[in-house]
Amino acid sequence: MNEPKITPQTLPEKTAGQVKTGKKFEGIMGELYVPLFFAVLCLLGIVAAGLNPRFLLNEIIIRLARNSFLVLSLIIPVIAGLGLNFGIVIGAMSGQAALIIITHLEIGGLPGFLLAALISVPFALITGYLTGLVLNRAKGREMVTGYILGFFANGVYQLIFLVLVGTLIPMSNPKMMLSSGIGLRNTIDLIAINKALDNALLSSVRLGAFKIPWATFLAIGLLCLFTSYFTKTKLGQQMRAVGQDRHIAAVSGINVDRIRLIAIMISTVLGAWGQLIYLQNIGTFNTYNSHEQVGMFSIAAILIGGASISKATIWNALVGVLLFHTLFVVSPLAGQRILGIPQVGEYFRSFLAYGIIAVALALHAWQTKKKAASREKE
Amino acid sequence: MSKKVLILIIAVVVVVALAAVYFTRTSAPEVAGGAKGFKIGIITGTVSQNEDEYRGAEAAIAKYPGLLKHVTYPDNFMQEQETYIAQITGLAADPEVKAIVVNQAVPGTIAAVRRVRETRPDMIFITGEPHEDPPLLEREVEVSLIPNQPARGKTIPQLAKEMGAKALLHYSFPRHMSYAQLAERRDLMKAECEKLGIEFVFVNAPDPMGEGGIPAAQQFILEDVPRQVAKYGKDIALFSTNCAMQEPLIAAAMKTGAIFPEQCCPSPTHGYPGALALEITDEIRGNFPAIMEAIDKKVVESGRAGRFATWPVATGYLHSLGGVEVAKLALEGKLDLNDIDAVAAVISEVAGTEIKMERLSNNGNFYMYIVDSHIFGK
Repeated sequence: MNEPKITPQTLPEKTAGQVKTGKKFEGIMGELYVPLFFAVLCLLGIVAAGLNPRFLLNEIIIRLARNSFLVLSLIIPVIAGLGLNFGIVIGAMSGQAALIIITHLEIGGLPGFLLAALISVPFALITGYLTGLVLNRAKGREMVTGYILGFFANGVYQLIFLVLVGTLIPMSNPKMMLSSGIGLRNTIDLIAINKALDNALLSSVRLGAFKIPWATFLAIGLLCLFTSYFTKTKLGQQMRAVGQDRHIAAVSGINVDRIRLIAIMISTVLGAWGQLIYLQNIGTFNTYNSHEQVGMFSIAAILIGGASISKATIWNALVGVLLFHTLFVVSPLAGQRILGIPQVGEYFRSFLAYGIIAVALALHAWQTKKKAASREKE
Repeated sequence: MSKKVLILIIAVVVVVALAAVYFTRTSAPEVAGGAKGFKIGIITGTVSQNEDEYRGAEAAIAKYPGLLKHVTYPDNFMQEQETYIAQITGLAADPEVKAIVVNQAVPGTIAAVRRVRETRPDMIFITGEPHEDPPLLEREVEVSLIPNQPARGKTIPQLAKEMGAKALLHYSFPRHMSYAQLAERRDLMKAECEKLGIEFVFVNAPDPMGEGGIPAAQQFILEDVPRQVAKYGKDIALFSTNCAMQEPLIAAAMKTGAIFPEQCCPSPTHGYPGALALEITDEIRGNFPAIMEAIDKKVVESGRAGRFATWPVATGYLHSLGGVEVAKLALEGKLDLNDIDAVAAVISEVAGTEIKMERLSNNGNFYMYIVDSHIFGK
């Protein structure tokens, strides 16, 4: 590492731009390898699957609305140098705890949804704080620690809602609880807040044949604005500094641990809200499993969008959701159509889905290596 | 700069992809709809989850060529619920599909059914082995077929007693114990055991959907059964709520001499062929009496006559084939789905053995059935 240290204020995008003009195009291409590769895969998949285009577009709109918020919640920890936050699973659990409360209180519609968003904040702040404390003790290994923390938190979550509810936590609601009076049932019906946010604004305004969840897209837009504004604030700049080099940041008087804690807490709260948006769209929720779906797929999506563990932008997130979910929609049918056996479609899809994550990480590692090599030559 | 390029590329890809879809769509080979003017969609697991459902669907396709559209749901259905929902909505996107058989109806079914009903309110849904909460599900789908779990809470201990058991071991884990019917069945089993003077033992096994996956769960069973047999003696009946645990359970019972009254989903093909190294040749495939005979021979050869039992028909196979039969007759106007006796008659005929059916409540057609067990070597 004999290259000059970057000053904390420098934005990472600029460093890519600082490469000599002749290499500019190559630099851009380098960033685009991963999304381009997947765009081509999507294209092939769409052709092979031969889906009804209306179904496909509708499905993509739904999934953009459903997942973008969750994926966007990953950006801030990446800026702060914490890598991809597998801990959003814990945020999702906080969101679900809030949903259980509002379902128990029978508050529905948009007020119910907003109340759930409000209730989830303290839960997410506390769990986010605890997550941050653990991650601060595992610097450099945040991703794997966060991943395992998710499993641990899952155990605590099951303990609370399967054993403590009805025993230590007084609650009685035969619709939600098991017949023994202890523990919640495995499905919770969210019909009361189903599409509460999706249909909150201009629900009758359609775009051609497609129903657009305007309010959800508005929320996603606001989060994009917040994220880009946040990176320009003092706190945001401090996060960048910490993300680029913890030691330099510490020397320049930044409280590194505190900044990292804040980044994780923000991400956890956003993860909780993201889960609320996801579940209000789905309409039912698996008490003990819905959160498991969150971390891995959000991270896969942002990686496909061209993000890496040290750099992620809003565009990475949005493009990633688009590409990842297009692939998910088309790949089972593509596999089935190409090979003619229904279950091969499923194997083809899981091969793709999990292969994607590996390929995205490998392409990123390859690029980093190449960049480092070209820098050394200079 | 890179953002603009990225957006441009994505836009081009989407446009080209959609154009490609339009061009390929017309040339896509369509399955002949048959003269009946309707098609039936069927979604099952792949053979890696539970082979019976998939083979049942294959048998239905062989019986009614051109009538069915068969797709599969993800092996990791708990984590990939969005894909599961998209597979069902994808089937419903074909206007010729007038009924969908979902076997097994894994979590996410309610959400999928509601989504389909937004555009296709008249779709007929037949679900096999539903996982979600029965009181919630029965209001959403036309017919559900499931072994009568609460009743089995009594019949399994009775059968175990008949086979000479002095203790009954129940393997499960918290996620399954949050399924209302499985929890209820465990409580009934415990009460029935006390009545019959059998010791009831509950052992927590690792969740196959947990961090260790299926291998960890199977390993645990293979290791734990000899321990339990050493503790309680050979006359202990083994039972587990999870499909993946049946094969190691049977193998361990074979080795230690314990009693095995029936599987979680009773069937001659569930666990037995693998554990007994039984070859399912083309002549006996789908022929349940022949499979029963082959198992009988193996069990007697191994000197374990009277220690093993099961139902003479595979429930997963029955739900696929019977579900299609029921859907077809209903679409042709020859069957009233609310008439439990008529549905039971159709299912009995498909099963080739008599079936006793019961309704869960008057809120829907949640049909629970029971079949008499067959003890091998008797």
